[in-house]
Amino acid sequence: MSIELKTKYGQIEISNDTIAQICGGATVDSYGVVGMASKNQIKDGISEILRKENYSRGVIVRKEEDQIHIDLYIIVGYGTKISEVAHNVQQKVQYDLEQIIGLKPDSINIFVQGVRVTTP
Amino acid sequence: MSITVIDGKRFAEMVFYGANHLSKNAKYVDSLNVFPVPDGDTGTNMNLSIQSGAREVREHIQPHIGKVGASLAKGLLMGARGNSGVILSQLFRGFSKSIEDKETIGTIDFAEALKYGVETAYKAVMRPVEGTILTVAKDAANKAEEVASQTNDMTVLMEEVVKEAKASLKRTPDLLPVLKEVGVVDSGGQGLVFVYEGFLAQLNGAQLEGIDAPEVSMEQLVKQEHHKSVQTFLDTEDIEFGYCTEFMVKLQPEKLKSNPFDENQFRNDISRFGDSLLVISDDEIVKVHIHSEQPGEVLTFGQKYGELINLKIENMRQQHTSILEQEKTTPVQAVPNKKEEEYGLVTVAMGSGIRDLFQSIGAHVVIEGGQTMNPSTEDIVNAIEQCPAKKVFVFPNNKNIILAAEQARDVSKQEVIVIPTKNVPQGVAAMLAFNPNVEVEQNKTTMIEAMAQVKSGQITYAVRDTKIDGLTIEKDDFMGIQDGEIVVSDKNIAVASKKLLEKMIDEDSEIVTILKGEDASDELVEQIVQFIEDNYPDVEVEVHDGKQPLYHFIFSVE
Repeated sequence: MSIELKTKYGQIEISNDTIAQICGGATVDSYGVVGMASKNQIKDGISEILRKENYSRGVIVRKEEDQIHIDLYIIVGYGTKISEVAHNVQQKVQYDLEQIIGLKPDSINIFVQGVRVTTP
Repeated sequence: MSITVIDGKRFAEMVFYGANHLSKNAKYVDSLNVFPVPDGDTGTNMNLSIQSGAREVREHIQPHIGKVGASLAKGLLMGARGNSGVILSQLFRGFSKSIEDKETIGTIDFAEALKYGVETAYKAVMRPVEGTILTVAKDAANKAEEVASQTNDMTVLMEEVVKEAKASLKRTPDLLPVLKEVGVVDSGGQGLVFVYEGFLAQLNGAQLEGIDAPEVSMEQLVKQEHHKSVQTFLDTEDIEFGYCTEFMVKLQPEKLKSNPFDENQFRNDISRFGDSLLVISDDEIVKVHIHSEQPGEVLTFGQKYGELINLKIENMRQQHTSILEQEKTTPVQAVPNKKEEEYGLVTVAMGSGIRDLFQSIGAHVVIEGGQTMNPSTEDIVNAIEQCPAKKVFVFPNNKNIILAAEQARDVSKQEVIVIPTKNVPQGVAAMLAFNPNVEVEQNKTTMIEAMAQVKSGQITYAVRDTKIDGLTIEKDDFMGIQDGEIVVSDKNIAVASKKLLEKMIDEDSEIVTILKGEDASDELVEQIVQFIEDNYPDVEVEVHDGKQPLYHFIFSVE
């Protein structure tokens, strides 16, 4: 599945993977996020923070009846206000998608898969 | 005299100075905001975050600095808003953690705490972006460490920290291309500099410009927006959006299910109705100020999210015309000097008519508020501070506000005496008994006496079916409340009013005062006045246009 944009010269097709990369990049840029996590942590057996190549495991782009929904699976730093961090991610992802590919998602859902506790 | 040791009390003061200074400059910080998302709210967010921290500190001031730090961290975390707000909360979380066991701290501890704050803040992010508040905090902390080993003078240390923070802030455009492109420094970094400047100002006793300014309130923001409009709209015909509309939405969970509330989304959506838009929200209430041509549609929009409260709509074209006319006729008056008086009077009122009434009998400051919109302790403290007097009497005029007023008394620097008035008639009576020439205690006694002699009654309508005090009340019935107790209820407002008055007036009664609410008609008032004159020929009747919302009538019988 991919996103298609029609222009007067022809079509632009953007793969889901690209969108996942952009969302992932925007997410890890946000303050308070220590990383992307896999959607199926137990099944995949990846409890660690995803590396750049695997962002797409933690970013799900769904298209339902012309509506685009994005699910992001993240791990946040301990002691941050999770609601606020998640909110910032939503804003940043929305902004980046709009800037880079002119895509307006209908929803950006954040799933906090874990908290990284760092003991000093 | 150099300061080498900071205790909890001084640290709390530093926090207040920092918070105030940031608050004063929040708009400027907003204007710098281009990263990560150029939505122009960094200053607002940081301000709300640090105000929440300061509030928590204010409630738990004590000499132990570690504990004050913990309050600050807690308040910041609870109030953290936006990216920079979260970062700010992390910086001070680390800072507080580092000093949590200390009674007092010196330069070395302070530098260490700054450093630890920066480490904590960096840990909470996968890919720290340099050229932001993080960089400014880091550079400042490094400088602090360097200086701390050479001096034990806190003021000197803080001076260096501020200097370095400013220098680092100047370098941010070199680190973050987007800043350079737009030609600004980082907004979050600037916010932090303001906080540090506030700290320094407290230490060296300097007066920062506007450091005494109270926290930016909706009113001030509204004034700024209005001021902008005045500059652009010179002719009445040029006013594009004619109605200044202000209201609050009390968010209702059931409505939010179908319409989830998001402040930015809300701001975007509502912006199509007009300009001079301000939206401020917390978890329960959204305050909106907008100039619109279709106030009705704005209200309908707001209603999707919850209940509307405290609405105010003004026709600006008309106002503008009358201002122009006034300016033609009245010469500009000199601003009277604020001279310090012995006593100040602060009262709470709902409705512009009641406010005028209070002002006419000598209130210095009238706080907007009452049932359903109780002013906070902070509002009251601000009002007290506005009084140029050593001793301030506060009349809460509502059972629910008495407590807040008492809290305000405890935190205020001025001597504050709370007269526990429970409604407007009591407030009026108490205030009339005030005598500027006698001592506080005597005033207090006579005022409380006067207050007790007034019988007060209110007419309002029921919002739902209920059974109380042996009365069955249906929705939209009119209820008569006498001294806090519902005594009559009737479908007809005139009947309810008369029944209530019958209960209130007895043979000793001399004066009945009627405060007419904004929902009450003139005919109705006449009818009631007639009723009193016919049945109680010895009683004098006074009618004031109180313009209060919710209550059609407030009666007082003396």
